[in-house]
Amino acid sequence: MAVITLQTFFIAGFGLAAIGFGVAVFRTSSMMRSALALLFSQTALGAMFLAMQVEFLGVLQIMMMATEMSIMAIFMVMFMMDPGGLGAMEMTHQKRLSILAGVVGTLFIAGIALFTSWGAVIATAPPAAQQTHDLGIELLGRSMLIFETAGVTILTAMIAATAIALPSLQRNPHHEP
Amino acid sequence: MSPDLLIALLTGAALLGVGIYGALSQTNLVMIMMGVELILAGALVNLVAFWRFLHPDNYAGQMFVLIVMTVMALEMAVGFGVAIARFRARGSVEMEEARELQG
Repeated sequence: MAVITLQTFFIAGFGLAAIGFGVAVFRTSSMMRSALALLFSQTALGAMFLAMQVEFLGVLQIMMMATEMSIMAIFMVMFMMDPGGLGAMEMTHQKRLSILAGVVGTLFIAGIALFTSWGAVIATAPPAAQQTHDLGIELLGRSMLIFETAGVTILTAMIAATAIALPSLQRNPHHEP
Repeated sequence: MSPDLLIALLTGAALLGVGIYGALSQTNLVMIMMGVELILAGALVNLVAFWRFLHPDNYAGQMFVLIVMTVMALEMAVGFGVAIARFRARGSVEMEEARELQG
């Protein structure tokens, strides 16, 4: 019982940290701080997965998001007019509508979570090694087509993103290859 | 209901709300992408909680999580591609200045 209580405490703690850092993303005028807050939010989510005994996905989440948010921070510095936030520029619009949509969305989903009968909850999770093994079997068995499709989609997106980002020859008629 | 499942689902709901606020309120393309990342993070925590607390024997649940992570990476890759193209063309990724894209 004590272990379950401790687990609940950590799940709630990391969940609150993920929400807190998520809010912090849009409350600071420094873009670097925004990117770091998002990194901490996603890392807290990964830690929450670990607290839920979903080890493989927890570690994967932390590793993926650390890389992704570092790249995002670099893009922030490249593209923002005021990445340090020293000018305290206003970079929001339709604030009231956005807050209303966020609150309504949260309440709607929270209502579904609270008032749905989810059935019997299974207290024990499979051991970490068993989870990784069984996920590997799932990926290379029943879900192989989905897994392969995801891989090909990533490759397509990489090529598409590179093609979009390349300078257009039509826009630069004097461009010499 | 298990408090752990409820906490995870409420965390997902809150992340969704914060993400919706960010995606609708921000004027910068990269900040809008951050909002979308938070919306997807909300979906992610729900999927993990459903797998862990309701169906830990069915690994298709974890497969869904991997797909959402893939979508997050795709969103970043294509979003940054569009951001670079926009920056080259207009020198800015402020979406207030992209009204000509309106249909």
